[in-house]
Formats: sequence, structure tokens, C-alpha cells
Amino acid sequence: MTVYIIRRLLYTVPIVVGVLLLTFFLFSVVGGDISQQIAGKNADAETIAEIRHEYGFDKPLFWSLDSQFIDHFRKALTFNFGRALDREKISDKILRGVGPSLSLTVPMFLGTLVLSISLALMVAFVRGSWLDVAAVVLCVAGMSIPYLSFIIYGQYIFAYKLGMFPIMYMPEESLLTSLALPVLIGIAAGLGGNLRFYRTIVLDEMRSDYVRTAFAKGLSTSKVLFKHVLKNALIPIITSVVLSIPYLFLGSLLLERFFGIPGLGSLMIEAIASRDFFIINAMTFIFSLLIVVFTLLTDICYAWADPRIKLE
Amino acid sequence: MKKRTAQLRLVIMTLLVPAAFLPPGCRKKPEPSASERMVIRVPMFSKIQTLDCGNLTDVYSIGVASQIYESLYEYHYLKRPVELVPLLAEGMPDISEDHLTYTIRIRKGIFYHDDPCFPDGKGREVKAGDFVFALKRIANVKYMSQRWTDWNGRIVGLDDFREYTKGFRRESDVDYSVEVEGLRALDDYTLQLKLTKPWPQLIWYLASAVTAPVPREAVDYYGKDILYHPVGTGPFRLKVWERGFYIELVRNENWHGGTYPTEGEPSDWENGYLEDAGKPLPFADAIVYRIIEEFQPAWLMFLRGDLDIMQIFKDNFAQAVNPDTLTATPAMAERDIRLLVFDDPSVFWIGFNMQDPVLGRNKPLRKAVSRAIDRQAAIRLFFNGVHKVAYGYLPPGLEEYDPNIVHTDYAKYDPAEARTLLQEAQRIHGGPIPPLTIAIPGTSNLDRQIGQFLQKYLEDVGLQLRVDYMDWPTYLDGLNKGKLQIFFSGASPSIPDSLDMLMGFCSWNWGYGGNHFFYSNPEYDALYRKAEPMFPGPERTRLCRQMERIMLEDYPAVFLNHRVSIAIIHGWYKNAKPHEFSYNTAKYRRIDLEKRNRYKELLNELKKKPK
Repeated sequence: MTVYIIRRLLYTVPIVVGVLLLTFFLFSVVGGDISQQIAGKNADAETIAEIRHEYGFDKPLFWSLDSQFIDHFRKALTFNFGRALDREKISDKILRGVGPSLSLTVPMFLGTLVLSISLALMVAFVRGSWLDVAAVVLCVAGMSIPYLSFIIYGQYIFAYKLGMFPIMYMPEESLLTSLALPVLIGIAAGLGGNLRFYRTIVLDEMRSDYVRTAFAKGLSTSKVLFKHVLKNALIPIITSVVLSIPYLFLGSLLLERFFGIPGLGSLMIEAIASRDFFIINAMTFIFSLLIVVFTLLTDICYAWADPRIKLE
Repeated sequence: MKKRTAQLRLVIMTLLVPAAFLPPGCRKKPEPSASERMVIRVPMFSKIQTLDCGNLTDVYSIGVASQIYESLYEYHYLKRPVELVPLLAEGMPDISEDHLTYTIRIRKGIFYHDDPCFPDGKGREVKAGDFVFALKRIANVKYMSQRWTDWNGRIVGLDDFREYTKGFRRESDVDYSVEVEGLRALDDYTLQLKLTKPWPQLIWYLASAVTAPVPREAVDYYGKDILYHPVGTGPFRLKVWERGFYIELVRNENWHGGTYPTEGEPSDWENGYLEDAGKPLPFADAIVYRIIEEFQPAWLMFLRGDLDIMQIFKDNFAQAVNPDTLTATPAMAERDIRLLVFDDPSVFWIGFNMQDPVLGRNKPLRKAVSRAIDRQAAIRLFFNGVHKVAYGYLPPGLEEYDPNIVHTDYAKYDPAEARTLLQEAQRIHGGPIPPLTIAIPGTSNLDRQIGQFLQKYLEDVGLQLRVDYMDWPTYLDGLNKGKLQIFFSGASPSIPDSLDMLMGFCSWNWGYGGNHFFYSNPEYDALYRKAEPMFPGPERTRLCRQMERIMLEDYPAVFLNHRVSIAIIHGWYKNAKPHEFSYNTAKYRRIDLEKRNRYKELLNELKKKPK
């Protein structure tokens, strides 16, 4: 397994280089010089030239030791991403956003996961009953309702009308109070799709011979479901769960915007809107690293969950 | 059992780990806002970029910074037409007979906010040299101030200083002790400015936070991070800036003081704006700015009483505004919520590139486009019918605005005449007019609706219009380099002086940040040169109006509308008189705490009230 892990870690080198090449091509070659945008509508040509120099847009693209290309790699590999268009350090921005984003997405993710798997086991067990049909109908309904509607109505009803939560994140309120509603909305909005997905996986397992055998041997329902069915259904669950983790670091754009949570979701979208290629570059690079690491983790988890899988 | 405990610990740790990453702003604050603390709560719909006074450009940044920094002069809060009064200056400037030398005495005993950049953290006294330093810093090319264009070519020797700074690598390397002939501190309390030519608008610039004094210590101490560490002299100082969502300013206990004005317009008494006459300022203990980028949460917070003031958007217009009277709807009035409606000097237009081979030499074509567009319909459709038709260029609120402009036909909607003009245009062009292309900066629904609206109206008279929806940098690049054939744009004067706006059509001002129409008219230029050194007065007003008419006759643009702003405020938000140009107004605002604290009861009473 160690050899496998080392080999997979070595694979990350071409992947990361590929990502860096792609982002450089997209943002520096195609995107081009944005010094005029930084300078604003009323700036004179001299100030624009100075900004071009400050941000290195006047450097050659490739063929120099001091080229934009080398600079791009140097910044990424040293994790010193420089300053954003608003002149704040990008690392400061990211570090500031990661806490609030994870505070929102981790409980949301875990809540959705625990609830949807538990409910999936339940409805799969009573498949074909009115409870199962109702669950499927509700899941489809939940998947059909736009995410934005969950937020708008959730905020309007529970925060404004019923006054159970603050409308937006309030620094003077406790964190629990401020994040409770967006987390609950996130769980409610994500439950439909997840429950349906896990129900399908569990149902596949429930039809297996070993389940009938387990019941025939007199095992309790909970033991069959949680010990045998769940364990055998773990492979697709692991794939879905572990590969979702990097996305938690990206935050939740809509929830963050509507609830005033200063996370990474807003940071990324604003960077795109303002063509802040420096932030986009940094976030893309970090995200690609996370994807590589968590893909590797997924593989390791497969071997742990299913002894038949050998990592060689 | 041991295994289960370990699993449980893992779950708990996973849940708690994110909390460990939290920045200080996300933890519970030690000072909850008590009902007796006078906190003004204002929403902002965009993030602020900087609090470094020498590089303030967007209105949101200026709005916050103006409570922290103070300049030599300020606008009288209540008097209209607008009037300047001394703030950090002892009096109005002594101006030499040739209008070239300004000598300004500075008030003694003005201290900067306490800040770690000073020895022992105690703010030092403001000296004339700090104003000199602030302006030299704007001139320093390495500082890259976007405000240099205001000063370019104005002060004797300052352009040379800018040239001198080009030889350095970094802003901090520049030696600021280099003398600039036109910018000197004669002593600690006397500032002298020498101009290259008369510049009557100078005084307005001296009333902006951009020209506030800057302590050299702060620039040296914070370096590039000074944009987050404003050190001013104003009534409020920065306490918290959680970038992107929350700013809190608190009262500066060492402020030099000031009192609420005792004079104003006759209507100010009946509107309650003089109830606090003569009382010491500021009233508020703190100002909290919430950056809220979505409309719904801001509106719900306002209705629940968590914000004191709010803008009117299309989404809350019907709920809040009676369109016939432009007053609050009964549902708002019963909550003691009212509207502030005021002219916000601005103008929006469809600009023509006068160097374009199709449009530039074809006045009937440009006029046909103007006649083809129904401005009233656009205002009804896009601005709830509230904005005013722009009959000319200069907006209401400026002294030189010509009230008789409404009797002219520059903004006439006449499709029949447009078709006739188009025939003449085709004759000049030597055949059918090819499809025209307009650039609109933005890709939102509203932008697309505006594009479709213009296409429809031009198509009605037989003109084809292509619309390029551009991102801002592409648009800006095209605008500055004259690459756009037709463009959708607008302007708001930053100072109450029409020449500032009229310069946008001068032939020496083509391109970058200037005349984007690439318009040129020698008669217009000559009149501008004549009016430029004049101080406000009837002759200058006459010249400005004459210039406006000359330009309008050439149809370099289709002027569409002037903005009318509507703000909605709670009854407890006092002294909220709108000011078109002043930003340092938070010190005048007062909260009727008793009323605000009773608001929840009022809402409960209203719930019980039979419908």
C-alpha cells in the first residue's frame, strides 16, 4: 500500500503542473492585462502603466527568468499568492474565509449525511410501503425546488415571520444562533437528492442473498441494516462522501450571500465577477490539491472498507 | 466500548474543528449593543475597497472614510444651494488677486486618532505639513492613486515631483522632503498652494476626504496595509472591519468637537432638521455598516428594525412607495416609516463615438437615434417612473442647470421625424445605414432588458442595432481607446461644479477618463477656456449653459434620464437630510432610542390590529 500511496503522490506532480499550465493559459494568456480595470475609470495612462508594472503585466509571458509564467509557478509552489486586486494579501483572504465556510458546510454536510443515510436505510427496509412512496415523492419534490427558494422562504418564515433566528449573521449574537438557520436550510435542501441516492444503493444491497440469509438466521433488523447492509454499501457512499469534502472548503455561495457569512464561496464568486485572476488562480490551485489528496484518500478508504480491494 | 468512545470523539472533533478556524470576527463579541447605546445601522450593497484617503474612488469607501477623516472644509449640512464652511481650516482661504495663491490657516489643537503608529499610541497634533504630505503622496506615481487626474497640471511643481518619483522602485523610497514650489507649509499652521492657472474648483476638492491630512507615521508603520488602518481626525474611528461584511466605527472621544448647525433652509424647521440646533456632535456612539449583497435579507432586516435606513429597489418599490405621491404606503406609514425623495445629480446617456465613420459625420443619423427613443417609457419601465427625463446634460442640483432646458426638443420622442432624418442620413452616408453596435457594460437581466428596449425603438424607425454586453474591463478599454461605436454610460458630478462635467466634451480631454465621445468643437473649447478661471457667478453660468446648448446641437449623445433617489427610513432616524455632495453626515444623525426600543411592541400591536 505504501508503494501505491507514493506512486499516487507522484502522480500529483503532472496533475498540478497541468492545472497551473491551464490556469496560466486561461488567465494570463487569454484573460490578459487587467491593469486598466484596477486603475478605474478615471485613471490616466501613467497610473495604468505603473499598475501594469506593479502587478507584473509588463513582464514577458514566457521567455525570461522573470516571466509571468515563472512567476505564476513560483507563487503557487511557495503558497505565496501575492496580493489581490484590492491590494489585500490573498493568503489572508483565504485564511479568513475558510473558518466561516467550514463552520457552515461541515455541520451541513454531516447533518445531511447522517440524516439521509439513516432515512435511506429506513425507507429501503419498508420499500413499497406508503412511507417509502411518500419519501420518494418528497425527495423528488425537494430536488425539484430550487435551492434559492429554500433560502428565501426559509429566511422569510423562520427568521423574519417567526423570529426564531437572526435574519443575517450578527457578530454580536452567538455563532450557534447565527449559523443554525443556514445549516438547517442547507440540510433540508440537500436531503432530497442524497436520500434518494442512498436509498438506491441500500435497495441494491437489500436484494442480496446475504441479507435474506442474515434475516433467516434470526438477526435483528438493526443489526442487519447497520452492520451488514451499511458496510456492504460503503463503497459508493465513500466515493460520494470523501470526494465531497474538498467542496466543503469552497463554501456555499448562496447561503453565504443571503446570511452574510464571510466565507470562501463569496470570495470565489466575487473574484470571478471582478476578474481577480490572482484569487481565482490561488483558489483553483488549492482546490486541485484538495481533489488530488481526497481522491487518494478515497482509494485508501476502499481498501479499508472492502478487504477484497488491494492497492497495488 | 473503547472503539465506540473513539468514534464518538472523532465525530465531536469533526464538528468542532471548523470553530477553531474562526477569525475573531466570527466569535461572540464582548460588547453587545445595548438598547441605550446609540448605534446607527446602515446597509451597504457593495464591499468597500479601501480606507486609505489618498485613493478613495467609490462612493461606499468615501462614505465610510468621510466619517473617519476630515478635510480643510466641509459642506454646510443644511444650507442649499450647497455652501462650504471651514472644518480643519480656521477660515476660508486667502486668495491672491490673480487667483493663483491660496493661503490657508489651519486650526490648532486638532489631534489624530490614537493609533499604534504614534509613540505611546497617542495621536499627535495635525500640522500643515501633513496636508503637503497627503497631496505629494497622491502625486507619487508609485503610490498609484486614482485621484491624480484631479491634480494633474494644477499645482506649481507638483507634476515635476511626480516625474521625480518615477525614478524610484517603491512608494516608500520616495523622499517627500523634496520641495514643491506650489505646495508648502509656511509654518506648522499655514498651508500655501500655488496654482499654475486659476482653478476655482479647488475649494471643492479641499472639502473631500481625499485631501485629508495624512500622518507620515501611519504610512511608514502600516506600509501597503494602510488601506485597512485609517488614521484620521474625524468624529469616528475604525473599530472593526470584517472585510466584506461588517464595519464598525466608534465615537472618537478625543475629537475636537463641533455643534449641529443653527441655520438652514426655511423648510428645515418644519421637517425637524433644526430640532437639534446648537447641540454638540456627534450624537451616535457608533455606526455599523452591514454589507448585504442580496436585497431580501436587507429588506427583512429593515422591516424588523435591525437597520435604520434602506434604499428603494424595484423589488420593494410597490410595497414601500405610493407612486402617485412618492410617499410611503399606508403599510409603511403605520410602522412610522417614511421616504426621503431627492434629486441625485446624475445623467445617463447613449454616447456616440464621434470618430466613427458612420456616426461621426452624420448628425441627422445621431439626431434620428435621439428622436427614436422614448425616454418616458424607459423611465417607466426601468426606474418605476421616478427618474426625470434628461432634456440636457447638466443635472438638476447644479447651479448651472438650466431650468428652461425642459422647453427644448433635444429629448423629444418623435418616430416620424426620426424616419425623415434617417432618409437624410442615408443620403449623407451614400446608402442604407449599416447595423449600429452599442456596448452595454454588464450582462445582468436589467442590462439585457435595456439592450432589447433600445433595439426595439430603433427598429421601429428602421435602424438595426446590435448589442454587445461586455464585462467592465473590456468595456472600459474600448471606451478609453475609442473602440466603441455607441456606448451606454452615465456620470455623477463629484463636486457641485458644472465645469467638472463639461470637461467631458473638451477636445484636449479625449480618451482615458475624459471625453469618451471623442467630440471636438472649437467653439465649445473656447467657451470652456473662458469659463474655466471664473468663480461661480451669472457670467459663468451663462457660459456653461451656452456650452451645453452648443454640444446638444451636435448630438454627440442621447441623454436619457437624471436619477431621483429614494431612501426609506424609520421614524427614529433623525436629521437625515439628504445632501447631494457631502459624505461626512453621520455625525449629524441621531437615533430616537425610545422610539426604536418600542418598535417591537409596535409590530406586535400591528399584528393584533384587525385587518
